[in-house]
Amino acid sequence: MHLHKYEKIWLTFGIGSLVIFLVVLAFGAFWQGTHPQSHGVTIDPENIEANDAFKPENLGITKVSDDKYIVNIVATAFNYNLGVDEEGKPVKDIRIPKGSTVLFQVTTKDVVHGFNVAGTNINMMVEPGYISSYETVLDNTGEFTIVCNEYCGVGHHLMFATVEVYE
Amino acid sequence: MGNVQERKTKSDTEKNEPDLKGTFISVMLVGVFLIVSWVGIYTLFMVR
Repeated sequence: MHLHKYEKIWLTFGIGSLVIFLVVLAFGAFWQGTHPQSHGVTIDPENIEANDAFKPENLGITKVSDDKYIVNIVATAFNYNLGVDEEGKPVKDIRIPKGSTVLFQVTTKDVVHGFNVAGTNINMMVEPGYISSYETVLDNTGEFTIVCNEYCGVGHHLMFATVEVYE
Repeated sequence: MGNVQERKTKSDTEKNEPDLKGTFISVMLVGVFLIVSWVGIYTLFMVR
């Protein structure tokens, strides 16, 4: 088979890029453990309290160790339940020191919601019956808005909260 | 004589080999676009 000189060059370039991208993908998946945010961890949407993480007293931010936090959230139309403060008022802002490793665990009782901490890599779909989780290191300071980016009904735009990362 | 032979060979190859310069440049432009966007998105993922 005769191939033009240029054809040989772009075939090598194309197959080479394919191999490189597949190696990068495999490295992320098998070595670094990257997976979809909702990867088959199920929960009964009618009875989410049966799961320890979503008991009312465990919602919101919990400090696990010096620089490790867990944030449990229940999304419902049209609210993010981040627990209550000492006065019994619903928490709408959480503060986390810079450089902390934070595990976000989110579920919903009703419909599909979005969970996006705008300006960070935390961005996932929240589906009834599943727990979506994402662990990340918050390295940039600032105030980030949590928004629902999956249309969930008439009050969709009212679903928000904030995450403040401080020095 | 040798001169004629050379000319013949040259014109033969020109006839058989299509001119793919434009195609080559277009293919490489698509390739560069893919790599630049991939690297850009990956960088965004890393700094956030």
